[in-house]
Amino acid sequence: MVGSLLDRDTTTSMRVKFINAGRRSLLPSLSEVLDHRELIVLFVDRHIKSRYRQMALGIAWAILEPLFQLLLMSVVFGFLLRVNTNGYPYPVYVFAALIPWQHFTRTAMSVTGSLQDNLALISKVYFPRIILPIAAMAREMFDTAIQLAILLILAAFYGYYPSLKLMLLAPVVLVLISLAGAGLGLWAAAIVVRFRDVRPALSIALQGGLYLTPILYAASVVPQNLRFLYQLNPMYWGVETFRWLLINQPLVWDWTLFASLMLTAIMTAFGIVIFSINERTTVDVL
Amino acid sequence: MSSEIAIRCQGLGKRYLVPARRRGSTMENLVGHFKEYTSLVGRDEADYFWALHEVGFEVRAGEILGVVGRNGSGKSTLLKILSGVTDPTEGSAELRGRVGSLLEVGTGFHPDLTGRENIFMAGALLGLSRAEIVKQLDEIIDFAGIDRFIDAPVKRYSSGMYVRLAFSVASLLRSDILILDEVLAVGDSAFREKSEKNINKIANDGRTVLLVSHNMQAIRHMCERAIVLDKGRLVADLPADEAVTNYLRSIHPDEGADLRSLPPLVDLAAVESEDWPRPFKTIKSVETATLSGPTRVFQTGETMLIRIAYEMPRLIKPCYFTVFVVNDVGERMFVSYSYHDQEKSEFPQRGVIECRIEVLPLLDGIFHIDLDFGEVQGLGGLRYLDYIDRATTFAVEQGNYLSIRPNLKNQGLFALRSRWLAVG
Repeated sequence: MVGSLLDRDTTTSMRVKFINAGRRSLLPSLSEVLDHRELIVLFVDRHIKSRYRQMALGIAWAILEPLFQLLLMSVVFGFLLRVNTNGYPYPVYVFAALIPWQHFTRTAMSVTGSLQDNLALISKVYFPRIILPIAAMAREMFDTAIQLAILLILAAFYGYYPSLKLMLLAPVVLVLISLAGAGLGLWAAAIVVRFRDVRPALSIALQGGLYLTPILYAASVVPQNLRFLYQLNPMYWGVETFRWLLINQPLVWDWTLFASLMLTAIMTAFGIVIFSINERTTVDVL
Repeated sequence: MSSEIAIRCQGLGKRYLVPARRRGSTMENLVGHFKEYTSLVGRDEADYFWALHEVGFEVRAGEILGVVGRNGSGKSTLLKILSGVTDPTEGSAELRGRVGSLLEVGTGFHPDLTGRENIFMAGALLGLSRAEIVKQLDEIIDFAGIDRFIDAPVKRYSSGMYVRLAFSVASLLRSDILILDEVLAVGDSAFREKSEKNINKIANDGRTVLLVSHNMQAIRHMCERAIVLDKGRLVADLPADEAVTNYLRSIHPDEGADLRSLPPLVDLAAVESEDWPRPFKTIKSVETATLSGPTRVFQTGETMLIRIAYEMPRLIKPCYFTVFVVNDVGERMFVSYSYHDQEKSEFPQRGVIECRIEVLPLLDGIFHIDLDFGEVQGLGGLRYLDYIDRATTFAVEQGNYLSIRPNLKNQGLFALRSRWLAVG
C-alpha cells in the first residue's frame, strides 16, 4: 500500500482499466470498438460460415429463399389478382421493394436478437457489446448484397439495365435502411433479454408493416389526404427510392422525406443510448 | 518491477435481485413477478442478495494469486467483475494491462468452425489483432497438440482436444493479466502439468495470474498467495499454503479446533458410516502417542505410535490391520499393513494393537488416519470386515528436523534424512 503511489508513475505506459460501481455511459466507447474491429469481421464470418457450411447447396440458399418467395408473389399478385403496378413488370416491381423491406426487417430482428442470442458469450467474456448489433447489421448487409445481385439479373431480363445512379446510391440507401432497422432493433435488443415477449411482438408488428409500405401494391392506391402520414414511414422512402433507382419510377420528394429521415436519426440515436444503458445489466438478468 | 501493483480492488461488491419467491395467493405471486421486471416498484433489502461484499485486495505484477472458497462464495462473481463481464454494485477495481480471461473452457468457440478459425475468434475476443494472433498461432497449435486436426471443425474434436485448444489460446495469447476459472481441471495429467508450468512461466514474465480452483493441491503448488472467500466476503489473504489450510479448516470445523485440546484417545465403538457399513464394529478406539505419552501433535522424525483397541466377533486368523495416513486435501501419504510384520498376522480375539512408525516422515500439516481391519484369505486375498474413515486427526510440526533453520517452507512431500560422507 505504501509503495503503490510511487509505482503509479512507472507504469503509465500500460493500459489501465478502471472498474467502478455505478458507472453508466450513454454512448459506447468508440476507441474500444475500434480495438475490437476485427471481432466484427470474425462475427460476420462466423455467422456466414456456420449458416451455410454442411448444406449441400451452401450459399445458394441465400438466393433460393427470396427467389421462391418472389415466384409465389408474382403468381398470386401478378397473375391471379393482377395488382396495378403502373405498367411495370410485377416481378421486378415487387422485388425492387421486397429487397429493401426485407433488409429492414431482417436487420431489425437480427439486432433485436443480437444480445439474447449471444448470452453465453457475453456472460463469459468482455468486449464492447455494441459490437454484436454492428455485426448483426453487417451480416444482413451481406445477405442483401446477394439478393441485390439476383435482382439486377432479373431486371436486366426485363430490360432494365443497372444505371450509374443505382450503383452510386443503392449502397447509401441500404446503409440508411440498416440504420433505421438497427434503430428499432437497439431499443428492443436490451429489453428483449428481460422481456422475451418483445421479440415475437416485434415480428408481428413488422409483418403489419409490410402492408403499410408500398411493396405488394403501388403507393398511388393510398388516398391523397392520408399520404403525408403514409409517407412518414421511413420504409416508404426506402422502397420508393429503390424503385426509382432500378426501374426509374418517378420519385416525388417533399418535406415528409426529411421528416422521416429525422425520425430515423432520432430513433437510432436513442436506440444507441438505450442499448448502452441497458447492456451493462444484461448479464445480471439473463 | 515485482512491486508494481497489477490489480487493486477496493470494497468490491455485487448485489443481485433474488427471483420472486412463491408466496401465498395468486395476486401476491403476480406482484412478485412484476417486481422482478421493474426497478421502480417498491423493493426492500430482503429482495437482494449480496454475492460479493466489501472485497479488497491487491495483486503485484508477476504474482499468481489463488482464489478459494466454497461453491457460491463469490469467486466467479469476483472474476466476472474483474474481467469486465459484469459491473460491481459498489467499490472499484483497477487493472494494469490487457486482461485475458478464461471463465469457461471454450468461450466463443463455435462448433462448426475449425480449430484455426476458433483461435482467431478467441483471440479477437481478447482484443488482439490478427497480426498478433498469427505470431502465436504455431505455438498455440503445438502446445495444444492438435496440429493434425487444426483445420477440422471443433465439434469433431474429442473433449480433451477441445479443452486443450481453449486453454492454449487463453494462456498463450499475450495478456498482462490472466484470469482463469477452474480450468486446470481439464485435460489429462500430462497436459495439466504442461499448463501448470506454462502458468508459472507467465508469472515469471511479469504477467499476473488470478486462479480460481477447487484443487487445493494446484493452489498450493502454483500460487504464492491466496485469498479465501466465504459468503461473498474476503475472510483471509494469506500465503497460499496457510490460506488453503485456513479454508480447509472452515469446511471441516472440527479440524479448526486446536488439536492439543482434543483427547488423543478416540472412541470408535459407535461410529456409523453409510459408505463403509460396520457389521461387526471390531475397532473400538484409536489413540495416537509418542514414546513420552499420548498426544495429537507430533514432531517430524519422532516415533509415532497408533494404538488400536479391538474386539473380533470370533477369532479370525490370519487377520490384518491397516493404517492409512491422508493429508488435509485427502491425498494418501502412506499406508501401513500389519502383515508386513511377518509374525504379526495372528492376534488374540480382543486387545490393543500398536502400530509403531519409528521415524515419522511427514512435514507440517494436518493429517487423518483411516483404519481398516479384515481377514487374510488364501492366495493373499483380503476381506474387509471393518473400516473407519477419518478415525482420528493429528498435526505434525517440522521443527528443525531437516535443517538448522526451523519450519522451512516448501520442503517437498516427505522428510527424509540422509547420510553425507566425504568420499573423495
